[in-house]
Amino acid sequence: MSEPGLRLVPAQGPSDVDLLLGRVARGDSAAFESLYDQLAGAVFGLARRVVRDPARAEDVTQEVFLEVWRKAPRFDRSLGKAQTWVMTITHRRAVDAVRRNESQKRQDDRLPPERISHDEPADSVIHAEEKGAVRECLDTLTDLQLESVRLAYFNGYTYAEVATLLDKPLPTIKTRMRDGLIRLRDCLEGHR
Amino acid sequence: MSSDLHTLSGAYALDALTPEERALFATHLGDCPACREEVRELQEVAARMGADEPIAPTPELKARILAAADRQPQLPPKVTTLERDRRHRRTAWIGGAAAAVVLLLAGAFTVVRLQQPDGTPVASSPVAQVFKAPDAHTATVRTANGGRLRVATSTARGQMAVSTTGLPRLTGHSYQMWTIRNGRATSAGVIADVSTGKVLRLPADGTTVAITIEPPGGSDQPTQKPIVAMDPATV
Repeated sequence: MSEPGLRLVPAQGPSDVDLLLGRVARGDSAAFESLYDQLAGAVFGLARRVVRDPARAEDVTQEVFLEVWRKAPRFDRSLGKAQTWVMTITHRRAVDAVRRNESQKRQDDRLPPERISHDEPADSVIHAEEKGAVRECLDTLTDLQLESVRLAYFNGYTYAEVATLLDKPLPTIKTRMRDGLIRLRDCLEGHR
Repeated sequence: MSSDLHTLSGAYALDALTPEERALFATHLGDCPACREEVRELQEVAARMGADEPIAPTPELKARILAAADRQPQLPPKVTTLERDRRHRRTAWIGGAAAAVVLLLAGAFTVVRLQQPDGTPVASSPVAQVFKAPDAHTATVRTANGGRLRVATSTARGQMAVSTTGLPRLTGHSYQMWTIRNGRATSAGVIADVSTGKVLRLPADGTTVAITIEPPGGSDQPTQKPIVAMDPATV
């Protein structure tokens, strides 16, 4: 990995979510409720995209928040952002839920458009910009990068399964996942 | 890290590896600070993508989760940082295991929890007593040699147990358990009977528990990379 120390990273103070998690680590139930309010939409949204079934997505959401509650005292902010930590747990648990249940055939159709409600977080302006940034940056990926990343991340496929689906060699898919994410990272940094 | 493994960082950040590849990659992450940094950045990118389409869950779910959290104790914080401990490491893989634990703390699990309780311990063994403790936390982890290890911890009993019925049988070698603390591996003994498992005193916080494959009767220090390394506190 080339010269990791040489890239300029913008100095950032702790976000609201980081501060809340710090309070949760000290057993503050009110902070846990605020943290839930901040992140539940993102957690449930991702869980639904991956596991599809709303009831199972609720179960995943519950598992995630209980894990966050339980492990908050061990969260080390020097290793990453609190929101990244929560979303990483969410994705891992959602993917586990999907792979566990291989007898249940996943449907290929995308999440139905009838979303029950779509709560905008309090900082909706910032959030709208963030959404725009992720979408704009996804548009900068090549088709193969985008498909590789999306099939793995949102459908829970392994890279070998993605390679089969896209009829490409394994090393190609591995590489496209990595360079796709790197391109996204570089693009998102430009949007800060 | 070989260039082949190196390119798995994207698939790792997308959770697109099989449990075996995941464990292998996590071990290599321990030896490669630059790779850890890359994975951290790619996970952040994945997390932003994942948070991009929020859907509000029902108020009932919030009530359920807050009530459940209210009944759950939290884990105690770590008092030593494993990064500092790495200075004292004796062998390269111990450093790897410690780094894997650092990743565990960051929420990137090197162990895969499995729903199927295969490898369930024999009913009345000492191992089973730990699994049956009212306060037991249990997990199933995949091992690098293709087995499944069931782990239970009970704070009330002050014990940790591994059920090894799901591990491949060895001929001419033994499974040996280790506790690793401050980069130092201490033998916790050979697993004499793979058809049951082993009970240990619950290790102090910040201890990694690992299993290696050793010559019969065990070794003084690990001679192989562990087939599994875990932080009992995350079980």
